[in-house]
Amino acid sequence: MDELIYTLKQQIIEALNLEDMKPEDIDENASLFGEGLGLDSIDALELIVMMEKNYGIKLQDPAKGKEIFKSVAVMADFIAKNRTK
Amino acid sequence: MIVCVAHNIISPLGSTSAENYAAVKSGMSALKKYDGLWGLPEPFVASLLDRNAYKDERYTIDEQIVIASISKALENTNIDTKSSKVLFILSTTKGNVFLLDKNENGYPQDRVRLGMMAREVTKHFGNPNEPIVVSNACISGVCAQIEAMRYLESGEYNYVIVCGVDVQSAFIVSGFQSFKALSPDECKPFDAHRCGLNLGDAAATIIYTKKDKVNDNEWVACRGAIRNDANHISGPSRVGEGSFRALRIALGDLNPEKLAFINAHGTATPYNDEMESIAIERAGLAGVPVNSLKGYYGHTMGAAGVLETIISMQAVNDHNILGTRGFETLGVTHPLDVSNQNRATEKRAFIKLLSGFGGCNAALLMAKGGLK
Amino acid sequence: MMKHSVIITPEHVLVDGNPLMHNEKGSALLTELYRNHIGDYPKFFKMDTLSKLGFIASELLLNIEGDRDFEPREDRAVIFFNRSASLQADTHYQSTIQDPEHFFPSPAAFVYTLPNIVTGEIAIRNKYFGETSFMVIDDYDEQIIMKNLKNAFQDPITKSIIGGWVECSDEEHFEAKIFLMEK
Repeated sequence: MDELIYTLKQQIIEALNLEDMKPEDIDENASLFGEGLGLDSIDALELIVMMEKNYGIKLQDPAKGKEIFKSVAVMADFIAKNRTK
Repeated sequence: MIVCVAHNIISPLGSTSAENYAAVKSGMSALKKYDGLWGLPEPFVASLLDRNAYKDERYTIDEQIVIASISKALENTNIDTKSSKVLFILSTTKGNVFLLDKNENGYPQDRVRLGMMAREVTKHFGNPNEPIVVSNACISGVCAQIEAMRYLESGEYNYVIVCGVDVQSAFIVSGFQSFKALSPDECKPFDAHRCGLNLGDAAATIIYTKKDKVNDNEWVACRGAIRNDANHISGPSRVGEGSFRALRIALGDLNPEKLAFINAHGTATPYNDEMESIAIERAGLAGVPVNSLKGYYGHTMGAAGVLETIISMQAVNDHNILGTRGFETLGVTHPLDVSNQNRATEKRAFIKLLSGFGGCNAALLMAKGGLK
Repeated sequence: MMKHSVIITPEHVLVDGNPLMHNEKGSALLTELYRNHIGDYPKFFKMDTLSKLGFIASELLLNIEGDRDFEPREDRAVIFFNRSASLQADTHYQSTIQDPEHFFPSPAAFVYTLPNIVTGEIAIRNKYFGETSFMVIDDYDEQIIMKNLKNAFQDPITKSIIGGWVECSDEEHFEAKIFLMEK
C-alpha cells in the first residue's frame, strides 16, 4: 500500500502540473480539494482520466469522484480494490 | 441606429432563416444519437449536418457553409462585397480544427488558422479588407455582433457581415466528453433532470448597417456588453456575476416589461442554467419569460449567438415566445418563467444572453423598430 | 492614450522600452520571469503557453502601473489579438486523442483550446469584471488592433484596456506586445 501511495502521489503531481511539489510534501490523509492541496474541478476531471490511463478504472459519474478523491489514502484504497491494470 | 438588413441560417433544420424558424416553431429538432461516429468510443447526441452534402473540394465544410450562408443572406440586398466599406467578421471557436487530425490530408495545413479560414471566405466574396475573427468561446456570436455595432458606430464601414460557424468533430466532442459535460440524451434546458449539453453544427449570418431613421419593422441592435466572472476558467460564477453585469448594461433604462423574452444560453448543464437563473433574478428580470433553443439545435458554439438572435427576431415578428424543447419541470433555484410551449406575445424586444469558458458572458438587446 | 507597454519574445523582454534582465530563452524564459517577478501563483504551471505568455506580460505591465490592490473592478477590459489562436494547446490536446490505442482526452488540455482563456486568467488574477475578448487576424496589424481597441471604449463602463498582440504557435515560438491604454 505504501508503494501505491507513493506512486500515486508522483502521478498526481505529474498529471496536475503541481510544479515545485514532491511526493513527501503531500500528506496522504489531507484533503485534496478545498484547503489541503487546493485542487479544483478541472483537476478532479483530470484525476478521473489519470485513473483510467494508469489503472484501467472507468469512472462514469464525476460526482463519485468527490468520495474517492477525499485524500490520497482513500484514492489508493479505491484503486487497490478496483484496478484492472 | 444599427439595423439588421439581412440574415440567414444553415443548420440541419434548413438552409434559410424562414425554414429554420418554421421547423423550430413546429417543435422539430435535429438531435440524434450517434454511436461509433468518428471512431469515438462513447456515443453522443448531436445535431449534425449531412457531411456528404458538402462536396466542394476547394473548401472545408466550415468554409462551405459560411460561404453558403453569407451568399444567401446577400441574395436580396444590393451590397457590393468588393467594396472596402464592407467588413467581414467571423465568429468561431474551433474553425477547421479537424485538420490537426493526422489522418486528414485533403486541405492545406495553414487553413487550421482561423485568419486563413476567414481569408478564404473574403477572397470568395472579393472583399479587400482583413477579416476579423472573434474567438471568444461560446459567447463569440454575440461578441461579433457587438464588434459589428462598434465598427458601424465609428463610421468606418457601411456594412458589416457577421457570420458565426462551428462544425463538430472528434476533437470537440471528445473534449466535452472529457469534461463530463455532454448529456447522454436530448438536453433538457432549465429542467430539474438536466444533465448536460448536446453539440450542433450550424452557420448563421447577420448583416448590419447604420441608419439615422428606422421603420417599425426593422430590427435594431440597441446595445450589448461583454463581462467576465473573474472566478474560474471553466465553471460559471456561483453568483452569476458576469452575466448579471452584462444583462444590466444591455437592459439599460428599458422597462423590463417591454421585453418579450430573454433568450438564454440554456445549455442544460447543471451549473450554467443555475447561474443564469441567479443572474436574471439579480438583474431584476425574473418576471420576463425565458427560453433556450438548445433542444432544437444543440450548442452550435461560434454560431449560437448569431443563430439564436435570428430565430428570436423571427419569433417576435411572429408574436411568439418559442417553447423550450426538452424542458418539463423547473430545476433552478431562482424562479424563472420557462415553458415548453409556444406562447403569444405582442412585445417587440428581447435580450440574447450567452456565457462561456474563460468566465466570459455577453448580452445583447434587440428591439423591433428601435427603442421608443 | 497609451500608458505602458511590455514586449516579450523568446529572446527579449522590454518593459516600457527598457530591456529586462534574464538568462533563459524560449519556454524557460517564461518560467524564469514567473519565478523572478511573480512567484506566488502556482496556477501558472497549469496554463498553456499562450496563457503563460499573456499572464506574465500582464503582470509585468501591472507591476509598472503599481498600486496592485486586487480590488474588484469593472472598468478595465482585457482584449487580445493573435494569429494562431490556441494552436499550441490544440496540438497538445490532439495528441491525447490521436492514437485510438491510447485515447485519453485530457480535460486540463481541452480547456485551453480556446484562445480567450488567457483573458479569463488575467481577469481572475486581478478580479476584473470588465470586458474580456479575443480576436484573430492572420498577420500582425497595428492599425487594425488600435482601431478596434479605440472602438472598445464605446462600452459605457470601460475606462482602460490591457490590450494588444499575444501570439504563440508552439512552446518555443511566441510574441507578446501588449499595453495599458486609458480612455
